[in-house]
Amino acid sequence: MSIRFRKELDILVRDNMITAEQSLRIEEYYAMKTSDRPNRLFTIFGIFGALLVGSGIVLILGHNWDNFSRLIKTILAFIPMCIGQILVGYSIFKKKNNSWKEASGTFLFFGVGISISLVSQIYHIPGDLAFFLLIWISLCLPLIYLLKSHAVALLCVIFSTYYAIEVGYWKYGSKEVPWTYLLFLGAIIPHYYKVTKENINSLTITIFNWVLPLSICIALGTFIKENEELGFVMYITLFGLLYNVGKLPIYNKLSTLKNGFVAIGSLGTVVMFMTFTFREVWKEIPFEYVMNSTEFYISLFLLLLVLLVIIFSQKTDRIKGFDIFKIVFSVFWIIFFVPMLVEVPTLITNVIVLILGLNLIKKGSEAMSFGRLNYGLLIISVLITCRFFDTSMSFVVRGLLFVIVGAGFFVANYLMFKKQKIKS
Amino acid sequence: MKRIYVIGLFLVLTAAQLFVPGQMIWKHENVLSSGNMYKFKTQPIDPTDPFRGKYITLNFELNSFRSFDNKFTYGDQVYVYLRKDEEGFAIADTVSKESLKNERDYVVAEVTGNYNGKVNFSLPFNRFYMEEDKAPKAEKVYTELNRVDSLNSALVYAKVYIKDGLGVLEDVMIDEVSMKDYVKR
Repeated sequence: MSIRFRKELDILVRDNMITAEQSLRIEEYYAMKTSDRPNRLFTIFGIFGALLVGSGIVLILGHNWDNFSRLIKTILAFIPMCIGQILVGYSIFKKKNNSWKEASGTFLFFGVGISISLVSQIYHIPGDLAFFLLIWISLCLPLIYLLKSHAVALLCVIFSTYYAIEVGYWKYGSKEVPWTYLLFLGAIIPHYYKVTKENINSLTITIFNWVLPLSICIALGTFIKENEELGFVMYITLFGLLYNVGKLPIYNKLSTLKNGFVAIGSLGTVVMFMTFTFREVWKEIPFEYVMNSTEFYISLFLLLLVLLVIIFSQKTDRIKGFDIFKIVFSVFWIIFFVPMLVEVPTLITNVIVLILGLNLIKKGSEAMSFGRLNYGLLIISVLITCRFFDTSMSFVVRGLLFVIVGAGFFVANYLMFKKQKIKS
Repeated sequence: MKRIYVIGLFLVLTAAQLFVPGQMIWKHENVLSSGNMYKFKTQPIDPTDPFRGKYITLNFELNSFRSFDNKFTYGDQVYVYLRKDEEGFAIADTVSKESLKNERDYVVAEVTGNYNGKVNFSLPFNRFYMEEDKAPKAEKVYTELNRVDSLNSALVYAKVYIKDGLGVLEDVMIDEVSMKDYVKR
């Protein structure tokens, strides 16, 4: 407990606000609540220590010491990995605490990478970076379940994303699709699910709640090859899926800051729809699509997933009211695949964005949430700004619109501030 | 998870982690000790790998063959069967899309282009890891020695051992001196 808090308690006792006995009980309560803190800190430092030492060794060995013979280099290649294995073995056999498991797991993760990379160096093995990452991750994935290690799980997510980027974006002229990324993700998700069930409010879950959806968003683009236009459908469906996942009953108690699924899903949906409010974008979209393509099948798969999530959440959590963000992606499917004049989908997307903004303003003011209120206002402002580019409105009208939106910001916030004051 | 499974899985994982680099070493040592040595004329350029450090990419002179066959497309694998000239430099004897039943040494290369009766390919052993400050020097030395106006252009070649389709790059030589030693001069 902080010294400041203890002083505050003394003041409260002195001013007869609480008794000395109550003060003692409060102290005991907080002492009990924070009893696991040193252990947690130790875990964090352990992980960071192992991370730094591991990546430090990677860098040192990256120097490629020419003076060492092949035999010495080969022995060196195994040392960090063997130390990691001994530490992990010790943690398992001696049933050491989480701090030990997390730190030793992180160190072994890097030890394996060091070993393969040094052997590649010694024999000048040309294997590309993607293949190297693939072997590395595969050899470390089981550590997640062996040690119940969150740090190794996170490292696996991050390196799997790197692998997907390497295969899908950076490999020159490659038409390869990183399917193995899905396998990696599939192997990590059960661990995440287990931790979610154990302690939804933990820091680990907050980190996962941002890293996982971000990783999926980055990696999805690597699956888009020849049918780029279908990439839009893939992404909008993915954002719908992320939003719906974030709104599952299990995440109910989480704030937006702790729920990356909702934040990324909502922002992604708005950005995608906003992009399609331009007539020019619709003009570029062809009328015929290659249905027999990876991109289309992935879109269908995502659609199936999102429908399952919606059905599941409707069954388990009926109390919640209608949320347009949950289903708005389906409108995109209709206007994208049903042939119509470009003006029609352009108009529909404009209306949708407007509705999304208004909906947020309404919900924000009802829930007294400044964040949601201003997010809604921001969406409408950006929509109006966007329309300046492709409509021939006079400067006076444009200026007036800006003034009205600006005034709207002030008025809405002021009214809510007033409402909040009255309530309190 | 039951403790016995945890320990079992740990032992299997440890074995796998040791096996992968171990097998890489065994395979390459085998080629170095009992493979056939070929020289490949080359040109070095220095890039970096985020994990494995500095290396030089080798642009081999042996990088194409004549063919009007449209079957060879970008990214395809081709079997390049080799023979040596009088000085031990590698020459492409036959190039085929399928493995041929003959006694010749071969390497599997990747097609990088097919244009105007010339099929370009890239040989697999084109990375030579060097100490980080030596790799850029190697490229510089090569460029200086092989300037158009240079009187004595240097002979740069890679020593590659080949066995059962696997090529292991042992060293890169400039005028018969190992590049690692040459750049120290």
